[in-house]
Amino acid sequence: MTFHDAATRDFPAFSTDACIKCNVCTTVCPVSRVTDAFPGPKYVGPQAQRFRGPSVHDRSPDHTVDLCSGCGICTRACPAGVLIAETNNRARAAIVEARGTSLRNRLISDTDLLIRLGSNLLAPVANIGLRNRLLRWLAEKVLGIHRRGPLAPFSRTTFRRWWREQRRPTTVPAVPDPGRTVVYFHGCAVNGFEPELGRDAVAVLERNGFAVIVPPQECCGLPFISNGLYEHARRKAQRNLGSLASFARAGYRIVGTSTSCTHALKAEYREMLDLADDDARAVADATWDICELLTDLHDRGELDTGFAPIPERLPYHPPCQLKSHGIGTPAMDLFALVPGLRAVDSDHDCCGAAGTYGLKKERWQIAQDVGAPLFAKVRAAAATGAVRAACDSETCRWQIEQSSGVRTVHPVTILAESYRRADAATDERWRRVV
Amino acid sequence: MPTADVVVIGAGLSGLSCAAELAERGARVFLAAKGMASTHWTHGGLDVAAPDGAATPRAGARALAARDGHPYAIVQGDLEAAVTAHGGRMRAGGIGLVGSLDTPLVEIPTAIGALRPAALLPDAQAGAREPWGNDGLLLVGIDRYRDAWAPYAARNLAASGWPDGPRDVRAVTVRLDGLDRLRNLNARSLAHLFDDPAWRSRALRAIAAAVPPGTWRIGLPAVLGITTHRQVLADARAALGPSVFESPSLPPSVPGMRLFDVLREAILARGGRVQVGFDVVDVERDDGRIVAIHTEAASRTLRLAADRFVLATGGIGGEGIRAGADGRLDERVFGLAVSAPQRDAWFSDDPLVPHPLEAAGIRTDDELRPLDPSGALALDNVHVIGSALAGMHYLAERCGDGVALASAHRVAAALAAARIAA
Repeated sequence: MTFHDAATRDFPAFSTDACIKCNVCTTVCPVSRVTDAFPGPKYVGPQAQRFRGPSVHDRSPDHTVDLCSGCGICTRACPAGVLIAETNNRARAAIVEARGTSLRNRLISDTDLLIRLGSNLLAPVANIGLRNRLLRWLAEKVLGIHRRGPLAPFSRTTFRRWWREQRRPTTVPAVPDPGRTVVYFHGCAVNGFEPELGRDAVAVLERNGFAVIVPPQECCGLPFISNGLYEHARRKAQRNLGSLASFARAGYRIVGTSTSCTHALKAEYREMLDLADDDARAVADATWDICELLTDLHDRGELDTGFAPIPERLPYHPPCQLKSHGIGTPAMDLFALVPGLRAVDSDHDCCGAAGTYGLKKERWQIAQDVGAPLFAKVRAAAATGAVRAACDSETCRWQIEQSSGVRTVHPVTILAESYRRADAATDERWRRVV
Repeated sequence: MPTADVVVIGAGLSGLSCAAELAERGARVFLAAKGMASTHWTHGGLDVAAPDGAATPRAGARALAARDGHPYAIVQGDLEAAVTAHGGRMRAGGIGLVGSLDTPLVEIPTAIGALRPAALLPDAQAGAREPWGNDGLLLVGIDRYRDAWAPYAARNLAASGWPDGPRDVRAVTVRLDGLDRLRNLNARSLAHLFDDPAWRSRALRAIAAAVPPGTWRIGLPAVLGITTHRQVLADARAALGPSVFESPSLPPSVPGMRLFDVLREAILARGGRVQVGFDVVDVERDDGRIVAIHTEAASRTLRLAADRFVLATGGIGGEGIRAGADGRLDERVFGLAVSAPQRDAWFSDDPLVPHPLEAAGIRTDDELRPLDPSGALALDNVHVIGSALAGMHYLAERCGDGVALASAHRVAAALAAARIAA
């Protein structure tokens, strides 16, 4: 990708004229690596785009674009600056708009609805359903959700409910302090499936002197974007922007623990959903991935580096969405601060899950094949002593964990654990003194 | 912001090699590139120097070093160590590098049946430069694979007047198992099929069965595996003879992909960072030095501060230098002065006979630091390597890989030595 003016960023298809037909994108596409059904980014992107108009309402000559998983690797590899993945995502949305899509795709995209149905009181029942092989078989037959698709169990207490019960702040403090207060965008995954990650994130932020606010918010809308349901995504996006923009304008940083959600706030609202007004720009500029924020803090000499040793080898997979941020691999920089922790970059393109892609009956095998070398690397690390793996995006974590059998956590979980161990060691020393 | 001693800009042969060597020598290195670069379009061997009349790469480099303003005038002495280090990196990644600077340059066939002089080749291509004796050359095409046309290449070679060439050149096209069911066959998908042991064994049997009577050396498109290339090559030699060789096909080039993978892995294995996909959009300067560069990002920019910066963004072909309609040539990252012919001398009837504009680039001092038009140092902590350097015609002189490696080695070794001294 090369730097584009605002017009190209707002209309990615304009960039396809710059394609020099070198085929580099075809050599890096993880989907065309494993299936002949997908002709690769060049054919469904810059080639097919010549037959499409610039509007999202124009028809597509080639429906194989729907096999694109949206990882974005092609866009980053392109030496000519073509926004290939973004163009293809819009082409899929045009197909969905013209032909509609399945109930399955609407359902798995509506994560907030699923969490309302499955979390809190109903979680024990819902989780029995998720584990029940007969019900999963039925879900595959009736809905098309693969029976071995990576689904995390619903949480018994959503993150938002825990926050309310703790009577934690949802709006700006009485004395505003944007420098030392951050807004936490937890995303749907932390809310409904991994609230403990949210608690770890809050602990790490508070440890470093930040007050944390959790204002009203919904799913970022990325699952809808990936499934071409732009109108649904736009509704989610607009409600989030309505809630977050005032914080962004007041100078508060918006911090997320999912590199997928934060990338949606930073880039996809604009590049896919045409949301480029002042609110959207303010939120994009204020949004930070949590590891990005912590390394920034470290650069200023303000990060609490009192990390207790975690002597283990940690296979780390930088997810595709993180790579699209263009922020390096901040988790690797943070891992280097934890004594004894030996993090190893997986050096693998994609885990295959790509959000909801790996859940779909007809895509599951592709997703497994894409991630297979990664699962093998993680299993090999486990066979030689690694006890877990790490990755910044939730559906990637679930895919790696389910397919490798190795527990996979967010980088912040490791940092929070290291801080807790440091506290425990301090307490122990005090006990001995007293 | 990642912590780095050195930021390398560009992911072609020079940038990757420089970053790998810096990482090997213990420096913290961050490689930033706006996209994939030349590796995926080139043949995976080393073009060190082959000006007209040169018998070996070393002699060629010596002749080029005598030319006015050629990069070899500065980096020729680094060539030996650079090529040795590159061979070591390739071997560690499972790819042998055959030949040396003193290996005679011999004509070998290209994908379209032209001839090019070569001395240093990946193991898998080395069979093409062994003496032909009484051997014939059998070019094997693969049915439905469109990026390597054996009959076309054979016809061109037969008419080429190949000196000391094979007894005869012939082409066969073989049908390999299952390919007629595929819709999207390209170099990578074929290479992945060869990585599959069962498919490979059937394919090699089918190719062997298509060889006519007589003594033939077999040339295949360069698709002999990616992830298990060494094993694929061994199996191909067992089935088709020890001198079977692969010829790089039209881009994308599988040997170039292997090269890129080996070098990226070498950087990551030593704790270096590689970020592909984001262009440099801003530069912080302070009194003749670069403090930091900023690369574009999903929002804001990524600030990359370092003690030293290595510019490996290529020449006009690699977009490190861009020509404007007004006749100006811009170096895109630091805005360095570009040494180039006047606008009215930009044109040539034949782009492959030394083209005047090809020599455009950055002039440097002996430490490869950029100079301004008056000859004074332009930036104290920036080093320029690879095709961004002025004064070479890398197509006609076939010197691009040698200059890339030698300049990368010169900078990496000097920076590492300075770090130890400091």
